[in-house]
Amino acid sequence: MNKKETWYKLDLSANVYPTLQKRKFSSLFRITIALKEDIDPVLLQKALDVTLPRFPSMKVAMRKGLFWRYLEPNANPAPKVQPDIQNPCMPIRIKSNDRYLFRVYYFKNQIALEVFHSLADGNGGLCFLKTMTAVYLRMKGYEIPDGEGVLNIEEQPDPEELEDAYIKYANSRVPSKRSQGNAYRIHGTQEPFYTLNIIKGTMDVSNLKAVAKGYQVTITEYLNAVLLYALLEKQKADRVWKEKPVKIAMPVNLRNFFPSRTMRNFITMLYPGIDPRLGEYTFEEIVKQVHHFMQYYINPKFLNADITKNANTQQSIWIRMVPLLIKDLIVRQFYIKVQNKQSSAGLTNLGIAKVPGAMEKYVVGFDVLMGQPFSSRTNCAIVSYQGVTSVNFASSIIEADVERYFFRKLVKDGIHVKIQSNRR
Amino acid sequence: MAYCVNCGVELEASLEKCPLCNTPVYHPAKEEKSKPASPYPAIRGEVARVKRTDLAILITVILSCTALGCGLLNLFIFQMNAWSLYIIGLCVVFWIFFIPAMIYRKLPFFLMLLFDGAAVAMYCGIIAYLFDGGEWYRLIALPIIIIGVVLIMAVNLCYRFLSRSILFMALAVVLALGIFCVGIDASIKNFITGVPGITWSAIVMTCSLIIAVTLFTIMRISRLREEVRRRMHI
Repeated sequence: MNKKETWYKLDLSANVYPTLQKRKFSSLFRITIALKEDIDPVLLQKALDVTLPRFPSMKVAMRKGLFWRYLEPNANPAPKVQPDIQNPCMPIRIKSNDRYLFRVYYFKNQIALEVFHSLADGNGGLCFLKTMTAVYLRMKGYEIPDGEGVLNIEEQPDPEELEDAYIKYANSRVPSKRSQGNAYRIHGTQEPFYTLNIIKGTMDVSNLKAVAKGYQVTITEYLNAVLLYALLEKQKADRVWKEKPVKIAMPVNLRNFFPSRTMRNFITMLYPGIDPRLGEYTFEEIVKQVHHFMQYYINPKFLNADITKNANTQQSIWIRMVPLLIKDLIVRQFYIKVQNKQSSAGLTNLGIAKVPGAMEKYVVGFDVLMGQPFSSRTNCAIVSYQGVTSVNFASSIIEADVERYFFRKLVKDGIHVKIQSNRR
Repeated sequence: MAYCVNCGVELEASLEKCPLCNTPVYHPAKEEKSKPASPYPAIRGEVARVKRTDLAILITVILSCTALGCGLLNLFIFQMNAWSLYIIGLCVVFWIFFIPAMIYRKLPFFLMLLFDGAAVAMYCGIIAYLFDGGEWYRLIALPIIIIGVVLIMAVNLCYRFLSRSILFMALAVVLALGIFCVGIDASIKNFITGVPGITWSAIVMTCSLIIAVTLFTIMRISRLREEVRRRMHI
């Protein structure tokens, strides 16, 4: 990115989220870090003030142009850290909070970061949170080195951290198909405005790994298969008029395939699924299906074709010439009618969260939460740290059927699961 | 340490029931007095309100300048007729339509609707004044505006206090449209012949009634309602 530029274009993914913004919905995600000691809010505020300038992609305000939205540097002081609340990921107003599109909360020994998805994906958010926590711990007098996602706040941001990596790497000659077909959708009783029900299950990584190994798959593949199984059970229990395929929207971190250091969004969606119209699937068959799907699709060629599809759309002169107001209407309708209907649930796995060796003794764990789902469904977010995997389900519906089938299956497979929840 | 007897998962100490299946936690050895603290915060967050005062001030300034400018132009330069009244009236209508909704978001809907109705009536009054159409204004414009405002209020009342189902709202809107057509028809007939009465609106009202009765029947019979929902779902 040119240093003289005082504004940034939204990246390919980031363009979609503001169009979905409404009074009762924002695309947010939350990452929490738990420390050994209780949080000092004054020090945390100082740590945030010092860390924020190192992350220009977070220190921004969103504005509307005639044809696109854009981000410009936000000159306001960093947002105030707040005591944590019962209803996380509540909608964020683009014009409030001094126009900052993220929030920092503290509760007992936890620091939580909520980010509007247009600014960053889980990887960028995690990097910001880890750096801020490292700065906070240094202010408390501990020696914390940089590395493992903790950035040096003294150095200037690398232009590569701000790049739109989609445009840089999208060069496939054949874009992939846009629509994946409609999937089964969960019907549930909607909770009152911005209630987010969370059910968190924690389990031992080694236990999980051993069970996944028994099926000859990775942990992500196994958990995907369990979620598909839960969705199939839910569809069966619903006694739907006409069965539909169950599919999971799974973000893939493209940094593992393309050498980008961007702090902004760089993910694409894959939709592993099972079609019950083809016949009854045993769990072993589901696992096998997911495994082969992942092996087939998760490689640079296919992923490139996927991002090229979106890049082509954004770069088309005809689309660029359409005023923002009309673009918003079309994108929103496309999301509601097509994109939102092609998955039954969301699942994201941030993988193993790592911190510098000297910081490990101060950090108890990490948690990740996909915010309020756009429709009445449940989203699952997974992160592992120091031998413990935490699986967080977030939904705005009263029923917890999918979560029940999911965790019961894990227990049945011999995994010890500990549950906590904010449901009352 | 408690486990759910149904799900087999270990439950966090503060949970009183399993969040997966709602089975209550019962631990015979556990003392009732000390309830462990929840790992989640108890404070409930509120979404920040967006201040729209600046935009409201900007719109007020633009509309006032437009109204004043046109008034002065009409007074001193283009003096052929009172054309500026149209623009001044339009500015007032725009102001009443948008500004109260922006600044006083807690203003009752009925009061806002009343203001909007009054603004439309005022604008029609300006047209009637400029075209010497006092009778037209009294016999057609004013009754239609009043009927319109009353019907919107009635539909809103139904939405708030009776039912919010799609079928019921469709019923209310169809009936309101039928009554509105009758109102228009009666006002026009009264204006032309001097005798109140209806002609074409009788057909519209009949159709509205048929649709309303059909919707009411579907609403009352749950089996029918389910059938319609199944066949008509989008």
